[in-house]
Amino acid sequence: MQLGIEKRMVPHIPWALVVTVVLISLLGLYNLASASRPPGSVWTTQALYLGAGMVAALAVALFDLRFIYRMTPWVYGLNILALLALHKLGHTAKGAESWFVLGPFRLQPAEFMKVGILMMLARYFHESYRPTDDTYGLRRLWVPGLIIAVPTALVLIQPDLGGALMIALSSATVVLFAKPKRWIVITLALVMASGSVVIWNDYIREQGETPHYLVRSHLKKHQSNRISGWLDPETDLRGSNYHAAQSRIAVGSGGLWGKGWRNGTQTMLSFLPEQHTDFIFSVWAEEHGFFACLLLIALYGVALVLTLGVAFDSKDRFGAFFAVGAAALLFWQVFENMGMIVGVLPVTGITLPLMSYGGSSLMSVMLMIGLLVNISMRRHMF
Amino acid sequence: MTLGQNSPGRDLKDRYLVLGGLMLLGLLVLAVRTYRLQVTRFDEYSQKSAANFVKEVRLRADRGSILDASGQLLAENRPSFDLFLTPAFCQKCQEEVLPRMVALLGWDAASLPTLFDQYKTQRRNGTFQATRLKVDLSTEEVELLSAHQLELPGIDVEPVAHRQYKAPRKDKAAKREVEGAGAPPATYLSHVLGYMNEITQEELDKRATGGDTTYRLGDYIGRRGLERFYEQKLRGVDGWRKEVVNARGESLPELSRLLGEQERRKEPTRGADLQLSIDLRLEEEAERIFPGRAGAVVVVEVNTGFILAMLSRPGYDANMMSGRVSPAEMAKLFKDPLQPMVFRPVAQHYSPGSTFKVVTALAALRSGQFTAKNTVSCPGGYRMGSRFWRCWQDRGHGVVWAKTALQHSCDTYYYHVADVLGLDPIARVGQELGLGQPTGIGVVAEVPGIMPTSEYHDRVTPGGYTKGMALNAAIGQGDDNVTPLQLALLYATIANGGTLYKPQLVRRIIGIDGKVKEELQPVVARQVEIDPEQRAVVVDALSAVVNEVGGTAYRSRLPDLLVAGKTGTAQVRALGAVRVKKENMDYFERDHAWFASFAPADTPEIAVVVLNEHGGHGASDAAPIATALIRKYFDLRREDALKRGDLAAAAAVPGKPPEARTEQVPTRVAATAGPALEPGEPAGPAVPATIVPPPTEPPPPEPTAAPAPQDTGEPATPEPLTGPAAGRGEG
Repeated sequence: MQLGIEKRMVPHIPWALVVTVVLISLLGLYNLASASRPPGSVWTTQALYLGAGMVAALAVALFDLRFIYRMTPWVYGLNILALLALHKLGHTAKGAESWFVLGPFRLQPAEFMKVGILMMLARYFHESYRPTDDTYGLRRLWVPGLIIAVPTALVLIQPDLGGALMIALSSATVVLFAKPKRWIVITLALVMASGSVVIWNDYIREQGETPHYLVRSHLKKHQSNRISGWLDPETDLRGSNYHAAQSRIAVGSGGLWGKGWRNGTQTMLSFLPEQHTDFIFSVWAEEHGFFACLLLIALYGVALVLTLGVAFDSKDRFGAFFAVGAAALLFWQVFENMGMIVGVLPVTGITLPLMSYGGSSLMSVMLMIGLLVNISMRRHMF
Repeated sequence: MTLGQNSPGRDLKDRYLVLGGLMLLGLLVLAVRTYRLQVTRFDEYSQKSAANFVKEVRLRADRGSILDASGQLLAENRPSFDLFLTPAFCQKCQEEVLPRMVALLGWDAASLPTLFDQYKTQRRNGTFQATRLKVDLSTEEVELLSAHQLELPGIDVEPVAHRQYKAPRKDKAAKREVEGAGAPPATYLSHVLGYMNEITQEELDKRATGGDTTYRLGDYIGRRGLERFYEQKLRGVDGWRKEVVNARGESLPELSRLLGEQERRKEPTRGADLQLSIDLRLEEEAERIFPGRAGAVVVVEVNTGFILAMLSRPGYDANMMSGRVSPAEMAKLFKDPLQPMVFRPVAQHYSPGSTFKVVTALAALRSGQFTAKNTVSCPGGYRMGSRFWRCWQDRGHGVVWAKTALQHSCDTYYYHVADVLGLDPIARVGQELGLGQPTGIGVVAEVPGIMPTSEYHDRVTPGGYTKGMALNAAIGQGDDNVTPLQLALLYATIANGGTLYKPQLVRRIIGIDGKVKEELQPVVARQVEIDPEQRAVVVDALSAVVNEVGGTAYRSRLPDLLVAGKTGTAQVRALGAVRVKKENMDYFERDHAWFASFAPADTPEIAVVVLNEHGGHGASDAAPIATALIRKYFDLRREDALKRGDLAAAAAVPGKPPEARTEQVPTRVAATAGPALEPGEPAGPAVPATIVPPPTEPPPPEPTAAPAPQDTGEPATPEPLTGPAAGRGEG
């Protein structure tokens, strides 16, 4: 185990990525200061989390990557155990057991699980690489399948549909990136298509007196309502669709230049639900307008490109695959979160990385960034 | 395999480009969508956002007051604290909040189920709208509630303007009850003013379809009388104030800057005041002296049609009816056999009895078949065919002519007239004078009354019209039905020489700045052809009724003022062979006592009609009230003139100031007008010159002389008629 930093590593620190991430985090703090509702002041707490997250990222960056590589199964295993323990010891909030309460802190194991899976997948694709046979058939994919399926299932039964979706999407991206055999890609495409058919049948098609649902009857009512609310936003404004409608009003009324910091009426007057967590982007859009939204989206774009750059420069498959996974996770969270706020995707409980309030989410993103820095600066070490 | 031992492979390089490209494409989708929301559809969402947080708070306009002729307040606004419940903000309402509130206020626990019902109803109707739990909280209740506000979510105390109607002072009312002069009025003029209560959902819907959206649930709206008729004028125009609210509807005044440049406030416009022609002092006097349990009094200006007093007994408590009445009390009011909710002067009709005889008398003179001097002999009744119509005085009146027939109320004379003329000439005069048709008062609902004609009887009576019906109608029985107001206007028309006015209650409408917005003018309903000579005969006879010995109302004469009038004792139930004394009859079968009059007889100013329901005899149970009111009216006229310092006007008022007051009046004047008035100075002609003694009549005695012997016998016996057609009066 090697802890520390050597002089030759310094030029390879991805400063641009670090600066972008810190910039987004600071914008997040500024935005949270507006979204805070007295008497609580979430932004100061978030600042503490950010500080702690940076320390954690630094720590991760200082570890010898080989040590982390070796410890990956343990990390993964611990996360699985944590998810299992959640069912016994978890704290129930809004109908889902997602939290460990540790004194003043509330820990959300699903957030860390996302990073754990990515590490485990990266390790698998590093180990299983055969230069002579660079495509993956079913025989070589059942292990990653299992790596993905177990935590996804555990998160799904919490129930945390959004978290499970994020794990599944980012893992699937990594698997696709590993170039599976063509028929597997086609199969996945078919699964997606059938999913669309299910949604069409259950939510869009006009059904008679005795509707024939494929999946809808198995979903929890609030989950089902979110899908239907997304598909038909004008129905039931006060009900399940209230969130979607209000967030779109917030974004739309922001205009080009926004209503001004702490002047967003949707934000200030509590029309936005969950404004400082899932719906934080509506606050930004309402108060700062279209150009600020473009800026934020561009910053995320830069972060994604730079993360993929880390992967590109990586000299081994562990680093490359982890960075690809990190980019995928970042992308899917940003895409799903902003997508639901501007009304192109259904409302799911996904936070916006670095912007939303939440210690676990911020911490897991920071750990991920720390690992990316680690990968980047140690790429010529071995 | 450890790190650094394999290269990531060249194959990955292309995939980074694809992956990165796809991701940036995804972000582009987001950016485009954001553009569409924030730039393309900005206006739409901007409006939606404003609709979210800008709440228009209504600023209610004060309702206009209702004043009497001298400016006393009859109906005004009074601040009240009302208790409201908003179901949406009331968590655990039935389990905790309402029981806690009831315990806190010390209310009866039995009131809980009603409160629960109200809560449930409102939760269905509109959970964010407040429903009124109670009006008029006491100061202690308001303090208790505001001290425990945090424990009572959804319960609010709001200041609301309520209507306050003038009521007699408590001690006076109690005193009157002891004296037994009928039930005291709960509030004055309750039927004329009307009352107010909450608008119903159906009415709101109806108004909304008519384009009127100015009312909200919980608003009070005028019911009956002036409150209903002048609702739009009294109401005023509401204003509004814009304020910032959050998603829970809570007002946040500190954030009003979010409203930006919008107009933030529009002031309400107070409703107009109504000044009535009714003089509360006269009304109070009528209430004070009216002896019966039920009945009506109408005092109307002869030359304008403006109403000066209008009593309907029993009345109701307009303050209680305005939102404080319980269903049980309401049911009691409507079940009361005395029918307090019926406005007797216009909404109820009665047999006029002998007061109708002026119509028959005018018809007789107009026909040319009777002159003032034609005589009829009264043997105590009239025989037509095989039937005998009894005169009220069994021993008969001897020889009577136009004047004495009316003076003594001799039935036989009018039977004879009807026998000669038939029904229709009489009915024509009655109709011309306004009988059988609405007076057009407008403000209150009225019944038209009935003036039967031969055509009417052919239509409604089995067997059709027969002459006997004319005989009954000629003395105000049979199917004759009049409202007290119709009768008052009829006498006023005779008094003024033939102008039938539309009765009016409102003298002027006054705007917020105290300026008169609208001065209501007398409205002539019709000019009636009355020959001045014939009129003089009738007026002379009416004056004789009161002022000459033998007149049926001689006992009620005024010493220095000539009143012209006619008594009436309307039969409610057909009499048997034996006349039963009033005291031995059931209340609802007793006769109605009428007196219809005007004064002064020579230059008439006011007409007064008194109806004492089931009161007995017109002479003893109605006439004294009418003459007392006439005296009061002229006393008030004189008093007002002296207050103004107008000595000439005071001196011109007919009649003499009463002895008791002569001491006070000059001293009051001395303070305002300097030189004192000679106390004993006659204020008007004591004896009018118009009274012409009839040819064969002994000269009338001095007004102060002791009553003549024949005068005493008249009021003691009822004034009925018998026969199968009799007794069509109503109870």
